[in-house]
Amino acid sequence: MDKDLHFYLQEYFGYETFRPGQAAIISRVLNGQSVLGLMATGGGKSVTYQLPALLLPGITVVVSPLISLMVDQVQQLRTKRRIQAAYLNSTQDPAESREVLQKIAAGACKLLYISPEKLQQSYVQHALKRARVSLVAIDEAHCISAWGHDFRTDYLRLPDTVKLLGNPPVLAVTATATTAVRNEICTLFGIAQENVVVQTLNRANIAYDLAEVNGESERRQLTFELVDRLEGPGIVYCSTRQAVDVLVAAYQLEGKRRVEGYHGGMNSMERMLIQTQFLAGELDVIIATNAFGMGIDKPDIRYVIHYQMPASLEAYSQEIGRIGRDGQPGYAMLLYGPEDVQIHQYMLDKEYPTPLQVQQFLQHHRAGVSMDAQALALLGMSEEMTAMLTFYTERALARAQASTPKEGDNFARDIWQETEKRKAVKRKKLSEMVSYVLADSCLRKHLNQYFGEADDSYHRFCCTRCGLQRGAYEGERTVLLQQDVQNSWSLRQALDMLLPKK
Amino acid sequence: MNNQNSVAEDLELLCAVALNAMIPLANERTLQSAYYILRGRKANQTLQDVHLYSLYPYYRMFPGFSKEDWDKIVATLFQNGHVQQREGEGAIAKPTFLVTEKGKQAAQEAYEKYRFAVWFSPFTQFDLAARIEPFWQRLHLLVQTVSQMLGKDLSFTPVVTDKSVQLWVKQQLQFPEARAVWMSGLREELYHLWEPLEPDVQKLLVAQLSGISQVGKTLGQLAKQQQVARVYLTLLFRYGLAASIQRLMKEAQTFPLLSRLVSQENRLDPRLSNSAARTYAMVQRGLTKAEIATRRNMKESTVEDHLVEIALRCPEWDESVYLPPEMRSVIVAASEKLQTSRLRLIKDYVGPGVSYLQIRLALARRQGETNG
Repeated sequence: MDKDLHFYLQEYFGYETFRPGQAAIISRVLNGQSVLGLMATGGGKSVTYQLPALLLPGITVVVSPLISLMVDQVQQLRTKRRIQAAYLNSTQDPAESREVLQKIAAGACKLLYISPEKLQQSYVQHALKRARVSLVAIDEAHCISAWGHDFRTDYLRLPDTVKLLGNPPVLAVTATATTAVRNEICTLFGIAQENVVVQTLNRANIAYDLAEVNGESERRQLTFELVDRLEGPGIVYCSTRQAVDVLVAAYQLEGKRRVEGYHGGMNSMERMLIQTQFLAGELDVIIATNAFGMGIDKPDIRYVIHYQMPASLEAYSQEIGRIGRDGQPGYAMLLYGPEDVQIHQYMLDKEYPTPLQVQQFLQHHRAGVSMDAQALALLGMSEEMTAMLTFYTERALARAQASTPKEGDNFARDIWQETEKRKAVKRKKLSEMVSYVLADSCLRKHLNQYFGEADDSYHRFCCTRCGLQRGAYEGERTVLLQQDVQNSWSLRQALDMLLPKK
Repeated sequence: MNNQNSVAEDLELLCAVALNAMIPLANERTLQSAYYILRGRKANQTLQDVHLYSLYPYYRMFPGFSKEDWDKIVATLFQNGHVQQREGEGAIAKPTFLVTEKGKQAAQEAYEKYRFAVWFSPFTQFDLAARIEPFWQRLHLLVQTVSQMLGKDLSFTPVVTDKSVQLWVKQQLQFPEARAVWMSGLREELYHLWEPLEPDVQKLLVAQLSGISQVGKTLGQLAKQQQVARVYLTLLFRYGLAASIQRLMKEAQTFPLLSRLVSQENRLDPRLSNSAARTYAMVQRGLTKAEIATRRNMKESTVEDHLVEIALRCPEWDESVYLPPEMRSVIVAASEKLQTSRLRLIKDYVGPGVSYLQIRLALARRQGETNG
């Protein structure tokens, strides 16, 4: 068996050896156990379900909330690894969905990536049941926990869905889960304690730095100095799109490195070009919102600077997790100022409904009026807020059917209280983030403790509290900014380059 | 490199473009209508303005324009004394504007300095604007894919994420024979297509493409690199694509491969929903609504819904087969007299000779004309 596993690892994935935790997870899954796998970002989560998928008789279903990631992985599986994979999500038209379902019915598919909401549809469930599901892998499993930083209501229906699919084993994987979140995942999917496989979450090659800044100009000056000096490639994360635009424009005027911006407001072709340039090494630094980085496979990112403090330690560790996946030294700098907390609090208040908004929502809901963009804007509600309210309302209605229905006002209050609970969780996350930046203790220990990690070892430097030399992460490599050097233009030559003769 | 200069030049050029678009609209339309044209709004009034004032080159020139961008331009034009506010005439007239002598002069100067006449020349019909983007997306992905195939490396991330474009390219390259033809012929066809263009335009087009040996640059990056205004490159880029589309349509036999990118089949009217656009294509071929319903395997009432949509959005459609002009006036008069758009009331008033479809068509026509 073990020999087999290594053979497949080499044959399909091109790796000589397993990374820590992978073999333990895979052998348990192949024995039919449900498993929770905790692996650091970049630790090779995907192999833990892709390899079993090849060996198991039926189909392996991978639940993933990120459509772009889904598309990327399936493309890679098909082209690089020659593994029969497909995906289903809401962006496809009916003809495409049908084609995928036919493939599944024909048994021509070993791996199916699917979004949680698509998996709720009964025709999808039927097709999968008939094709026999050997394993349900749940990526970003922390999304199921109301204690997590990234709770998604459509994940809550997953335990029931697994039962409907004939109760195949579950492999839940995540990179960010506190002890409370782990326990919740285990309870919901019936995972035994001995089947929780924890790979060390400690990132020994990353040094943690921190700086308090007073005002925008200090923030900017420090960031620009770092970007000029640090050895790249690197990422600078900002909280808003405007901050990205302003920072990019300013840096391009003064700075030494090749820098571009990336955020959700750009058109998709521009985003793809910038991302591809970064991956190809044509850019040194990306200044971005948190829209950048998911599913990007670039092992040599040397640093991440947080221009503003993120909203939770989970988000923070996810973003700095992109540093140094090649194992080489990397550097994480977090800038914070008093206004950061205020911005997050303001955004939190906007994210969750007031009691009045809940009542107005219920009125619409009862009248059976679907909420279009205009109606939402009128009530000051975002699409996310509506989705959340729809979920809690439907759940409350389902419960109310069991007992006697309550009066309207109480009903609205109950729902509002549910959303307030969520808001309180987020507030707590924010205060934990704040205590991280304010405490005098070792940053590595603080972060590891939060995720229940005991291993605090490090390679070059630990953190700014324990002492660290920023200079060790600076690099001489300055690349000349590109000028239009081509003095003789030839369309013929340019096309011969772009479309080489065979 | 001086970004600040090019930002200033960007605004200057934007103002000049806007001013040139405004001149024919002055005294007759609102300032806003120029904004709708540049943004490429699909409302009937905007489409009519484009036709009426022959503003084809301007239509959808800046689809990403926000209200703030526009306000900045308008403020600058007022500040420079190029444009003045003017009260509308009559009781219900909307406020309009006039372009001053100084404004006209500035518009003319920019027109010559930046050679608008050259860059606008391929825009001789309305639907070009809507075809530029799909054409570019298809071309981009096709070139990227063929380039990767030539370099024998198919593990790449497509730069174009649009599903329908990906599907189209996949269909083109589905069979080995087709792949071989594209791999051997694309380079030559592109060369002949772009060879007559000015070198600056050629460079701009090629530099944005991706493939085995290069990652495409964004328009913003190229503007920085060449130290010119981004807006100026937008003009050149649109010119290059529009000229390519025109040539491919006229000389399809010279470009057996690339002419497929502009092929007329499956071309749906962008003003309509896809289903209504399919119906409209059949209407234009002279099919009756009953025939359309049979061929498309749908209820006649669905086809009627499409006809109403067409009446609302396609001013050029001749609806008289379904709605004789005199009937139309009767219905509109009834609706105005009763102060209602409710079909039932209008039908009761006009009498049994009128169908619900006719009332809906008449009301759609009226709405299509008054939509601002």
